[in-house]
Amino acid sequence: MSTHLDDDQIEIIQEFVTESRDMIEQLEPAIIELGHDSDPETMNAIFRLFHSMKGSAGFLEFDHLTRVAHAAESLLDLIRNNEIELQPEHVTLFCAACDFSKDALDAVEANYSDDPMSGAADKISAQLEQAIHGPTEQKPDPPGAAESAPGQEAPAETLPAKATVAPELILPEMEITEEMRSSFVQESNDLLQYAEQGLLAWGEHPEDADSIGDIFRNIHSFKGNCGFFGFAHLEKLSHQMENVLDRVKSGSKLAVDNPTDQLLATLDLLQQGLNNIAEGKEDHIENIDSHLDDLKNLMAPLLGDLLVEEGVDKMAISSAVETQKKPVGEILLQQGSATPEQVAKALKRQQESSEEAKSKAKPVSRSKVPAKRQDIRVELGKLDNLINLIGEMVIAENMLIHNPDLKGMELENFGKAAQHMSKLVRELQEMAMSIRMIPVSGLFRRMIRLVHDISVKAGKKVDLQLIGEETEIDKTVIETITDPLVHLLRNSLDHGLEVPSERIAAGKQEKGTIKLSARHEEGEVWVTIEDDGRGLNREKLLEKAISKGLIEGDGTDLTEKQIHNLIFAPGFSTAAQVTDISGRGVGMDVVKRNLEKIKGKIDITSKFGQGTRINLRIPLTLAIIDGMMVRVGTTTCIVPTLSILEAYRPEMDQITITPDGAELARVRENFFPIVRLHEILNKKPDSPQLSDGILIVLEYQDSRFCLFIDEILGQQQTVIKGLSDFIGNVPGVSGCTILGDGGVSLILDVGTLVESIEKSKEQAEAVAASKGDK
Amino acid sequence: MADNETSTVSGNEDTQKNKYLTFHLAGEDYGIEICYVIEIIGIQSITDVPDMPSFIRGVINLRGKVIPVMDVRARFGLPARDYDERTCIIVIDVDSTEVGLVVDEVSEVADIPESQVEPAPRTSRNTESSFIQGMGKMNNKVKILLDAHKLLFSGEMQRVLQSDSEEN
Repeated sequence: MSTHLDDDQIEIIQEFVTESRDMIEQLEPAIIELGHDSDPETMNAIFRLFHSMKGSAGFLEFDHLTRVAHAAESLLDLIRNNEIELQPEHVTLFCAACDFSKDALDAVEANYSDDPMSGAADKISAQLEQAIHGPTEQKPDPPGAAESAPGQEAPAETLPAKATVAPELILPEMEITEEMRSSFVQESNDLLQYAEQGLLAWGEHPEDADSIGDIFRNIHSFKGNCGFFGFAHLEKLSHQMENVLDRVKSGSKLAVDNPTDQLLATLDLLQQGLNNIAEGKEDHIENIDSHLDDLKNLMAPLLGDLLVEEGVDKMAISSAVETQKKPVGEILLQQGSATPEQVAKALKRQQESSEEAKSKAKPVSRSKVPAKRQDIRVELGKLDNLINLIGEMVIAENMLIHNPDLKGMELENFGKAAQHMSKLVRELQEMAMSIRMIPVSGLFRRMIRLVHDISVKAGKKVDLQLIGEETEIDKTVIETITDPLVHLLRNSLDHGLEVPSERIAAGKQEKGTIKLSARHEEGEVWVTIEDDGRGLNREKLLEKAISKGLIEGDGTDLTEKQIHNLIFAPGFSTAAQVTDISGRGVGMDVVKRNLEKIKGKIDITSKFGQGTRINLRIPLTLAIIDGMMVRVGTTTCIVPTLSILEAYRPEMDQITITPDGAELARVRENFFPIVRLHEILNKKPDSPQLSDGILIVLEYQDSRFCLFIDEILGQQQTVIKGLSDFIGNVPGVSGCTILGDGGVSLILDVGTLVESIEKSKEQAEAVAASKGDK
Repeated sequence: MADNETSTVSGNEDTQKNKYLTFHLAGEDYGIEICYVIEIIGIQSITDVPDMPSFIRGVINLRGKVIPVMDVRARFGLPARDYDERTCIIVIDVDSTEVGLVVDEVSEVADIPESQVEPAPRTSRNTESSFIQGMGKMNNKVKILLDAHKLLFSGEMQRVLQSDSEEN
């Protein structure tokens, strides 16, 4: 394989690698789940993973990968068939097989060959072989796997594995093998397809009796097969369909003029059930009863039956049926066997019931079996380019619509067109943004494995709850918060949660809980990690901080929040000893840095002895913000609307100047420091008088301040552009945007503004506090 | 005017070798290697960025790209001068960093073979000699050839960038 490859082969291999990676990622959680309950569904999913990986790897001649996948598959098969009981170490083995596969895929991606993995493959497949052949009577310590699961074989974990196929589906005497199943699926697929073709042909030429016969035969053999394999739902449905077809074949009318649609819909249902079977699931069809009723309603009751109910002699009817050239009712009248009233009544009833049936047999829109969600893989670079382009378009649109040449002109039609254009651009922008958004479930699911591994290592019992997996976040954001989440979870597990004995002593449940949740809140995404462990210890934190010289004094003047924030300092770790999981004090620093990159924030709340909650607050998108355009002198700036609380024109009596020259504005009962934007930008304002300008009250985390500007110009969506790397980070400025007139305008960063003024105004705040008390 | 010159010099490395874009600054002629130059634009409105060294004038919008602008006069510590219609911004790209250079006047693209380039004089007094790559002789005139890399990154700018990375 390593000889020489053409582009096509390389492409196939790459495809294989990506696909297999996706599958492994999806299934890792399922494997862990396997340890807790051996749902046949899960088992089958895992089985399919190894099976298809084996197939593809075999095709591409990655022998080592094939070997391992095959061994894993065999073991799973045995477990599935109840020949081997599922042991926790099997789960560990499967995890190991997954890990191996991942490594092998990496190797394949790098060298287009999995030869380097031969040693590892030998080891893993030997372990798997041993698990397969190993004595099932006693529990042997599987080599290799044992060391990672020391003494963790909790007695409750050895659940008896259930059979894959639900018990009622198997005929007691015979075993349905995989081969039989697949040949059944294949054959049935053909039958259904013929039936469908026949139905379509019959729909166009209803008089053609032959086609109906064909359909009938196809459905009949399908029913027979289903019965043989014990697929009850399919059998019932096809049986009912057969009945309808029988009625059609014998020439009776159906309740609806054109039953083809209904029958096709039924065929689709059958196909759906068959697909389920092909995927190894049951033949379950939702709402089968209502579908059966729909079919029943297709068949109008026979007139003869109704007449019997009306008290007409049965014999007379059957003789009448023989002379069926004329309408039955008429003949009966001639024979005098029925009174005109009876016939009229019966006819009316026939009509009624057929109408009723019509209304019941709702016009089934022929919905095909919902196709699997179609995805295409797009290179992320292309997507970024697209989004950049759309950003440019937003700017260009602004330039066009607010073009200075148009000023003062009455352009009614242009206005309409411009409005329409704006709307489209806005929609396009939203669409582009949504393309980048992916649900956090992938990220969360990866954590299941992590938590499982760590909890085994640390000897703790954990219940990981995932909430809000469907919440969507920008892809880059997800990548950035992956590491922080890993660190935070590790911390929660390693430091937060106590060992079972300690938990019981503290009167808690033996099993700790970690909640990982994501939700939209306040225009941000909040990702929260919550544990019910021992919480942060204020004294310990302070002691450590003082010994490291991170704080001055004894720390009694620090707020709870400030103390909790100490854990983010680099090199800060209260762990008594460094384990291989955590304790070096690097993790939280990484968390903080990564979050700063995406302008996220972290809140920690912790109750000693009760648990810790860490909230990551992440902006929804990185590219566009709502901004308020403000002016100082000749300069315009953008203030993020999210940070603005209110804006007002101050009166002089609302302003207090402290002895050290700091200006404070009173907003209702609070005093906020005033920051003059013109001083920051070094510009000349219209007037230095506070009462001539506007104060905007801004909030960042818990601190608030007033920004003094000349004028508010308006609100607009702003595409954030970074200032050049050459300039680097500018305090107080988070980036810039291009205005409608082509000029560049700075976007103020409220966070760093606060930090820079906090340093200079600390004393002023103390004065403000004493004034506020008055 | 000067825009046309740049469009002709796009090509492979060989055609760009030993070619310098020359410009006037406070009575002296300077040259910068043509391979760094992207384009030349007229002076346009520059947005101030706070807390920058004095020679960083701010940022401009170059067809949707935001690039910083350096006033070369200020960079060399020369007296400031009002911008006029001859004032140009030379946009250069050094290691994928795009920066605009404000100069008094762009003159021409000159061919100065290596043999005509003298090493930079060592003067202890003026610090701006550190930006000089060499002295190019052309006929009877001397062009001061600038080291684009040092122009952008040495001295005060280095300190700015360093303090940033410390903050991070």
